[in-house]
Amino acid sequence: MAGVFVFSEDGALAQQLLTPALELKKALGQQLVAVTADEDTAKKLATLGADLVVLLRAEQKTPEALVPEFGDLCARENASVVLVGGTLRGKHVAAQVAARLQAGLATDAKTLQIAGGKLLCTRILYAGLGICEEEVELPAVATIPPRTFLAPAAAASAGKVETLDVKADTRVAVASTTPISTEGVDISAASKLVSVGRGFRKQEDLNLAQELAGSLKAELACTRGIAEDEHWLPLARYVGISGQTVKPEIYLAVGLSGQVQHMVGCRESKVIVAVNNDERAPIFEAADYGIVGNLYEVLPLLTAALKN
Amino acid sequence: MPKLLVCYKWALDEQDIKINRDDLSLDASRAKGKISDFDRNAIEEASLIVEKQGGTVDALSYGTASVKQSIKDALSRGPNKVMWIGDGSAEIADAFVIANVLAAAARKFGPYDVILCGEGSSDMFYQQTAPRLAQLLGLPCVSFVQKMTLEGEVLTATRKLSDCLEQVSVKGPVVVSVLSEINKPRIPTLKQVLGAAKKPNAEIKIADLGLTPEQLTPKAVRKSAKGFVMSRKNVIYKESDAAANVAKLVASLAAEGLR
Repeated sequence: MAGVFVFSEDGALAQQLLTPALELKKALGQQLVAVTADEDTAKKLATLGADLVVLLRAEQKTPEALVPEFGDLCARENASVVLVGGTLRGKHVAAQVAARLQAGLATDAKTLQIAGGKLLCTRILYAGLGICEEEVELPAVATIPPRTFLAPAAAASAGKVETLDVKADTRVAVASTTPISTEGVDISAASKLVSVGRGFRKQEDLNLAQELAGSLKAELACTRGIAEDEHWLPLARYVGISGQTVKPEIYLAVGLSGQVQHMVGCRESKVIVAVNNDERAPIFEAADYGIVGNLYEVLPLLTAALKN
Repeated sequence: MPKLLVCYKWALDEQDIKINRDDLSLDASRAKGKISDFDRNAIEEASLIVEKQGGTVDALSYGTASVKQSIKDALSRGPNKVMWIGDGSAEIADAFVIANVLAAAARKFGPYDVILCGEGSSDMFYQQTAPRLAQLLGLPCVSFVQKMTLEGEVLTATRKLSDCLEQVSVKGPVVVSVLSEINKPRIPTLKQVLGAAKKPNAEIKIADLGLTPEQLTPKAVRKSAKGFVMSRKNVIYKESDAAANVAKLVASLAAEGLR
């Protein structure tokens, strides 16, 4: 029995996946099957339009350990499309299931539809410089980033929940997990950000940005170089393709050139402001407002002006 | 002594790709190749391991004919040998085909104790190669690794996931994908660059890998690509008087309701 399958270890994301999955179900005329290892999530998904929820019961519940059984289930049931929540764990799972099904996989699909009997997705390439349409043969797998879709409304009738006892893949032993401390700051939730790059000559000079942030009631963010190479700010504060994605009201970029890998993480900001001494820096093309000038001169003036 | 394999991609440098403003087409005609950023971390990690505790590193790359340009750079970063597959099929290869080719080569020239890949390539960022390879080779996979040590056959690693760090251990052979924060790739010294010229490289013909036409046919096909253009106001203040610029910017922010 063919079907559209969804899986995410993140309960909220699993619900979001049902929204595109319901559209695909309609286009393909197939059942919608949600797979989860969490009992509460299973009950919830059954109320949101999944025809069948398969609750995997195993000794080890990490998504990676469930790959063989999840992959076998998709193969056995002739899955047409498998949608996986695009967390890092989810990307690992999706790639392995795709290999198991000898299927194509669209990474970080932003839109999905069935066209000409194939799955048509849009996604980014060249670190966000471009967007492309990818057509994937069925069976097809896609990962979908968190918060791309809203969860659907409750369905008229509840789906069935079936429990499946499975054997986990325990070759990789998990010794411990430590939650990542973000030092109380989630820059992706901040409404104003002052973001710093390599235009700052030394770590103490970030005080200038800190003071500006204070006058704006903004949080500090940075480029990968500042966090990863210089270690001047924690990794949780860096914006970019492999870092945070932010959408503040104002993104004030200081002393950063605006490389695509960075901009993909902030380009949905409402207003982008740049301060840079290089008039030709790409950041000015991406900015609503900008000042060409020496940040060591501009920042104290700007901080003072904003305080008044 | 461990035998390591590191896979890398010769990718177009996205900094050189321009967006044509008229039709939003992407112009890569002036783009140069580079070893994909995260793959440099994988090469570095493999090299650090054998420099510290012995063993060998083979580097493997599948690309179009241009992949040949990567050999010297790859060898100057530490590996003992480069195996390269330069074939036109790479032009449209998706992650399915890439993994099939790399897995076939790893099988033919292995076995390897650890196979390393970057987290994703700088051009397509599919983030699929390591987990797909592991699945195809029947090996365990440890993805998104921030820190790793190899003691005998046992790999101990820290994975960095969205909300947690996970400490894992696994008995090899194993496939690993590394994050960029795992190390800082070396800038090859003159000695390393000169030494690279003396190291061996071997071309592998795709026809010798025993792959079926189906295994070389992409499942995902790019239908169209266009540049992402932000529509921004681009109001830039560039007087020589910094105070005047600041005053204008503050007025603009006030007009946006952002003060």
